[in-house]
Amino acid sequence: MDVGLIAIGAGIAMISAGCSSIGEGMIASKAIEGMYRNPEMASKLRSNMIVGIALDETCGIYSLLVAILIIFVLRG
Amino acid sequence: MQEIFDHFFDFTIPGPILMSYIIIGLLIVLCIVVFILAKRADPLKKPKGLLAIAEIAVEKVDGLVDENMGKSFPNFGAYVLAIALFIFTSFILGIVSFPNPLDGGQTSLGNPLTYLGVPLSLALCTFTMIHVTSIKYTKWSYFKRYVDPIPAFLPINLLSMWAPLLSLTLRLFGNAFAGWVLMSIVYWACGSLSNLIFANLAAGPGSIFIAPLVAPMLHAYFDVFSGAIQTLVFMFLSMLFVAQEKPEEIKAEERLALA
Repeated sequence: MDVGLIAIGAGIAMISAGCSSIGEGMIASKAIEGMYRNPEMASKLRSNMIVGIALDETCGIYSLLVAILIIFVLRG
Repeated sequence: MQEIFDHFFDFTIPGPILMSYIIIGLLIVLCIVVFILAKRADPLKKPKGLLAIAEIAVEKVDGLVDENMGKSFPNFGAYVLAIALFIFTSFILGIVSFPNPLDGGQTSLGNPLTYLGVPLSLALCTFTMIHVTSIKYTKWSYFKRYVDPIPAFLPINLLSMWAPLLSLTLRLFGNAFAGWVLMSIVYWACGSLSNLIFANLAAGPGSIFIAPLVAPMLHAYFDVFSGAIQTLVFMFLSMLFVAQEKPEEIKAEERLALA
């Protein structure tokens, strides 16, 4: 198969990583807002924020796996 | 058929699996040392050295379990700490990448989490724990979860049963594998660049000069930081998935208020 097409496919698969990073930024900004509004909840908010960011990052990691598989498997 | 018999006595162990055995061995030795220290220590004095670190770790993990799961899982901290130690140690020892002694240095003993079987078995432990907890608390009505609103949902429920397993496995595997691929690309690029510059200066292979300047920062991110975050996330998700299976109990005052 054409190498250029494989590279384009892998690049398209990585669009999802950008979307998940937007989501991570929103989670972090809201959590920091909450921490400043209510500082004694900060430790609980921080742990919840880490779990939320990790759940969100899964989507990006899936897309990265798909991209790596596209590059290494389709190349033959 | 012949192939099956040929491979039946083939005891070659892949590098990552051997590395995970080594890590388990190291952790067992550590646990025995801590056990002996704890037996011999004087409970009236301040703990010192390794024992103090072990006590802080156990206290922290028990606190986390109490905070996230409630009082009804008193011994769950042991499982969480064991899983966390294994994941973090495998990320840290993955930096070193010794050559594999079993096949003469063909492959390397890297991070065991880059081999899909290892994170899958870790996730299977948590998956088993989820279902055992569910059976323990709901007895025979455990099977009711598969026909939850109406029996027509059976295929959907059977599929969504595997979601925690898949997400736990692929999160660990994806992080470790992506870090490994990126580090290999960085090492290859640094090697080629250094070869271009220093090929005429050094007598031996000139490809080892740039990578030591670039790689440590990336190792600190992809192995140490990412490893710590993934360890924390695996701990949190195991605790939350298992705690979710315990049905909400109605407290005594509320029951009085309802009656």
